[in-house]
Amino acid sequence: MTFRWDILFRSLPYLWEGAQMTIRLTTTAVGIGFVIGTLLGMARICQYKPLRTLAAVYIDFIRGTPLLVQIFLVYMGLPQLLSFPMPRLTAAILALSLNSGAYVAEIVRAGIQSIDLGQTEAALSLGCSNAQVMRYIILPQAFKRIIPPLGNEFIAMLKDSSLVSVIALEELVRRANIVITRTYRPFEIWLGVAFMYLIMTIAISRLVAYMERKLKVDV
Amino acid sequence: MFEIHDLHKHFGSLHVLKGITCGIAKGQVVVIIGPSGSGKSTFLRCLNLLEKPTGGTIYVDGVNITDPKTDIRRVRENVGMVFQRFNLFPHMTALDNVAFAPLRVLHLSKDEARERALDLLVKVGLGDKADSYPDQLSGGQQQRVAIARALAMRPKAMLFDEPTSALDPEMIGEVLEVMKALAEEGMTMVVVTHEMGFAREVGDLVLFMDDGIIVEQAPPEIMFNCPSHERTKAFLSKIL
Repeated sequence: MTFRWDILFRSLPYLWEGAQMTIRLTTTAVGIGFVIGTLLGMARICQYKPLRTLAAVYIDFIRGTPLLVQIFLVYMGLPQLLSFPMPRLTAAILALSLNSGAYVAEIVRAGIQSIDLGQTEAALSLGCSNAQVMRYIILPQAFKRIIPPLGNEFIAMLKDSSLVSVIALEELVRRANIVITRTYRPFEIWLGVAFMYLIMTIAISRLVAYMERKLKVDV
Repeated sequence: MFEIHDLHKHFGSLHVLKGITCGIAKGQVVVIIGPSGSGKSTFLRCLNLLEKPTGGTIYVDGVNITDPKTDIRRVRENVGMVFQRFNLFPHMTALDNVAFAPLRVLHLSKDEARERALDLLVKVGLGDKADSYPDQLSGGQQQRVAIARALAMRPKAMLFDEPTSALDPEMIGEVLEVMKALAEEGMTMVVVTHEMGFAREVGDLVLFMDDGIIVEQAPPEIMFNCPSHERTKAFLSKIL
């Protein structure tokens, strides 16, 4: 039994294209998830109770159900409900973004709540509105603090994005499967894929550590 | 400047302010003293509605701020506040801390706001610290920036909530100096403090609070030399 380096190397360009799709999917999903999460996170602690409840229900639903089921719901469930065709890529981005949004919401909420109440009081005492307090005082400080957990979310999402291979979207795992059906060399290919994920996640944690240093994150 | 009538504050079942009635005239420096838990800070925080009173009325410059229809932001613009723990914005320089409210609340131009801020930093003796961040400043310096920040709104009155309690002893003087200068300019000030020297020297009126009521109010020379209530005497004998 020999390790067929040549097969792995020959497959690399094809797999790399899949990895690029994985990166695109993850950055888009976390990007949209960040916007959704910030809004949801603020909704979670706003004064208006129905909004608070709605946000909590959404977050519980997403965090309490498997991502795989959410992907099926979006890819197969939504088209049935709304009777329009759902392209794979749209479904993948939508499912991953909606999922990421819930996790980011909890990160944002914790970040906002970690800011000392004295900051809010000082700003209010100067005549600021609640919106101004949030925008100029709380969020800039909170965002600095949530960079590390946000980095973790990014890494988790990068790995979880492999689940969209089940709807035949050609990201890294899907492409690996295609290569294996052609070559019958699962060990080489899966090991190669594992290392490609590892390189990507290490790159992200380095980037996060760099940003932390640059912004002098205070805990 | 402030007219307070029968002010009550409950925190749940805890009755913190039990009917406070008093008036504070324009230009007056009122010092509030009393044991901890007597409600002095709560009373002060009611004056700009950082705490919402559960009963009674407060008029600030003729405006009933306990009326839910009153725009409390307009009132807060005219009443500055200085906190025990400074509460400077850590992500902004000293200058930006002071320029923040003129820029965002009064909508001055960036240049006007920064010019006003720099003038005030010079006034509190920190013109050379404009570009420092709060964590690069000592406690006394931070509190002086906080005073400048409140003054940047050109308020008609200033509230001080134990402004020197979180400071190292050697830094208390520099903050009290700034407050004294402010009093001499005729600023209306309400000061919760344990600095009896300041009360004696700068105060026009001293209020002694205990258990949610004003037990005694008198000019400092009377309050400190011949207090009339037993509770006042007991308190003063412990701290003087």
